[in-house]
Amino acid sequence: MKVRTVIPDGVVPTLCRMCDTRCAINVHIKDGVITEITPFGGHPVNHGRMCPRGGAAIDLFYHPDRILRPLKRKDDGSFAEISYEQVLDEISTKLKTLKTEHGAHTVGAWKGEGIGFYQQEGYVRRFVRAFGSPNYFSNDSACFNGRYLGYHLVCGFWNAFPEFDRAKLILLFGTNPPMCHPPFMRELADARQNGAKLVVIDPRLNPMACYADIFAQPYPGTDGALGWGLINYLIQSKNYDSELVEQYAIGFEKIAAYAAQFTPQYVQEQSGIYAHVVEEIAQLIIKNRPDISIFPGAGLEHHENGVNSVRTLAILSCLSGALGRPCGLFRPEFMGIRELTFDREQELTGPKPIGADKFPVLHDIRKECHTMTAMNYMLGQGDYPLKGLIVTAANPAVTNPNTTKVEKALQSLDLLVVNDFFMTKTARLAHYILPAATFLEREELHFFPKYQTVNITRRIATVDGVLDEYHLWHELSQRLGFGDRYFPWKNETEVNQWLLEPTGVTVEFLRDHPQGFVYKPIRYQKYLTEDLPTPTGKLEFASEYLKLLGLDEIPEYTPPFHRRKSDNRFPFVLTTGARKSLFYHSRHQNIPRFRNVHPEAEMEIHPEDAARLQITDREEVRVISEMGQLTIRASIKHPTELRRGVVEIYHGWEDWRVNFLTHDEINDPISGFPLLKAVPVRIEKLPAPIQAFTNTV
Amino acid sequence: MKVVFVEQDRCLACRNCERVCSFQDSRGFNREDANIWVHIDMDARTIFTLTCQQCEIAVCLEVCPVGAINRDLDTGAVTVDETVCVGCKMCINACPFGCIHFDRAKRIVAKCNLCNGEPKCVQNCISGALHYSNINDLAAIKRKKIDKAQVRATQSQKVEKQL
Repeated sequence: MKVRTVIPDGVVPTLCRMCDTRCAINVHIKDGVITEITPFGGHPVNHGRMCPRGGAAIDLFYHPDRILRPLKRKDDGSFAEISYEQVLDEISTKLKTLKTEHGAHTVGAWKGEGIGFYQQEGYVRRFVRAFGSPNYFSNDSACFNGRYLGYHLVCGFWNAFPEFDRAKLILLFGTNPPMCHPPFMRELADARQNGAKLVVIDPRLNPMACYADIFAQPYPGTDGALGWGLINYLIQSKNYDSELVEQYAIGFEKIAAYAAQFTPQYVQEQSGIYAHVVEEIAQLIIKNRPDISIFPGAGLEHHENGVNSVRTLAILSCLSGALGRPCGLFRPEFMGIRELTFDREQELTGPKPIGADKFPVLHDIRKECHTMTAMNYMLGQGDYPLKGLIVTAANPAVTNPNTTKVEKALQSLDLLVVNDFFMTKTARLAHYILPAATFLEREELHFFPKYQTVNITRRIATVDGVLDEYHLWHELSQRLGFGDRYFPWKNETEVNQWLLEPTGVTVEFLRDHPQGFVYKPIRYQKYLTEDLPTPTGKLEFASEYLKLLGLDEIPEYTPPFHRRKSDNRFPFVLTTGARKSLFYHSRHQNIPRFRNVHPEAEMEIHPEDAARLQITDREEVRVISEMGQLTIRASIKHPTELRRGVVEIYHGWEDWRVNFLTHDEINDPISGFPLLKAVPVRIEKLPAPIQAFTNTV
Repeated sequence: MKVVFVEQDRCLACRNCERVCSFQDSRGFNREDANIWVHIDMDARTIFTLTCQQCEIAVCLEVCPVGAINRDLDTGAVTVDETVCVGCKMCINACPFGCIHFDRAKRIVAKCNLCNGEPKCVQNCISGALHYSNINDLAAIKRKKIDKAQVRATQSQKVEKQL
């Protein structure tokens, strides 16, 4: 591995991208080697602190298993190195053939988490549309979009990161900030030290709930019932922001009428949370409103009622008066740079984007296709075949639901190109594998809407033979004949200059501002003077847009699958995807120091359930769902840590793929999200191994 | 002298400190190699974090029969000289807080040496529970908290009187 560092010796500030928090870091270089990564002081995101993932970026960068040369699959299934020129020529020839013989729409591109979002997403979207295909896919169709849509449908925007430290009451639903959003920790600790109350709702007791004033374990997927119960309590006791409702919201009467059935007693029946606890939470809201932060984690969206649960919480925030508050729902402004995507300027013509007919809201609002439906198209069960796919640092063979189908679908493609750092389960299925550049090899713009700041990352080093993402799309588009029009820039710096041009801010200026540059001061209660970015310009407690599409006008509560249809064959409920502090989805498992902490997969189970099944700690068991099965070690938790009847398995393991068990066709009707957090399963004790007789004494 | 101390009510048990600490000695993230410990008691639902307080009269230093434990002149940390320690474990027996442990790989004792004045645990404590500062700053932080709580209490009393 030949590495050229940007300077031979010294310290370069940049942003970490081991997860999407993007903390500011200092990269230390000595004699052309990256020797250490330490936190950068003075950035609003991490305040001079960082997590062990940041320090281990060195392990990622110098990892001995990194793919450093393009690879081509041979007939016997093994891979052989080929030159960059040749791989790009071969891929573009195949793309051209697919386009002329079957149409551009039979090719798609899939942006993954591994290379990051924002600018990288922009390149992928731009390439797909320039190629002439409507089929842009991303990891977001199984994470993030559910909450994005939920808030957008009510408020027209979503600020995922409110200023928790200014709240008097924080309600966390299905999230574990120390693992998922480390910087929340500082704000939560600040808030609590200032006297804020904390309510944690989660089927799993995470250590931070030790500090909760109220911790409640609902049945998975029943958060919507609790949300409605709280709405009902506020309305019945006339403790809601009536001015906001009268002036800025539509549909209040409809939600008031629907909410009436959600008495504390009814919420108890639906969610398993005691009626008096529901009342206590409602009282806390009444006492502390409007300074309330409500944060739904990914725990809410991975259900077939996920978007409605999120909409319910958005309405609850608004009723409590938190709209426009620093700790609540305020709408950040953007910097106004140029956009790489041109979805808005150019209408799509020709065949429909995949999934846009089944999940129109997903495509209307996010302009992206549905990855679960894409599998059907690859298998020839769609309106047209999907034959070619370029995947950049996504790992659907691990993280998309119904692994059996995903593998079969990816294997049936005429062309699968995977751009990644490592030989992932997905890369193994590819025809071509391209070596991806890590975040230390890229210069790109990053925005932090919460602080309204912008940063530019620094290219710390280049690795001989590894092209950055921009060059990949640039080279491919040149060969496909639309390079001069859509990817004319020579390098990333030129792209960044072009993006920044309308703002007057330069690349050099941002390089001199590693602490982040505040592009606009924050204006909080904008809704008082400006319309909200919804179809009606108002808060949409009831959505005419959804009604016209035949979807729930108000976010009605549908009990989750496992509560609707009890099935004796599958008495347990499996939730997947509780985060681990060192892994990031399917990434980082091959970093040895991280593997020390999480050596192997485990199925978390309540001690009483384990006792009933006669399972001991660390014993291997078989977990079976309608979709498939998995053999995994049981980990018996403390009785308070899980609800009885609920088991949990991490979602990113390459060698223990829990998505063999998950459903891809039980979806949220609005977001199309799969059912990942309430899968009916049964657990079987494995037969005891036959003891071999030995003659030794 | 500066020490590493914990604002206990800020610690949310992410365990990042344990991991980066163990990495200093072992290049791995094994909890057994750490010199800072996050104890989570799920029965009581409490979190308690502890590391060496670099005692003024350090019993570990006093009891060491071979003079392997000394005070670092720059940082004031009580440190173990790995070339001198014979692994007799007397210091582990002596420490009232359990803040010295036996390194299974090196067969000698190990304890917090304040990372020569740049403690990694503090750098990696995102919640801001760990500080590397004068211990009297901890006292000041606590006084401030009591002050705030008092203000809050009087404020709420005022409100109640108004009602």
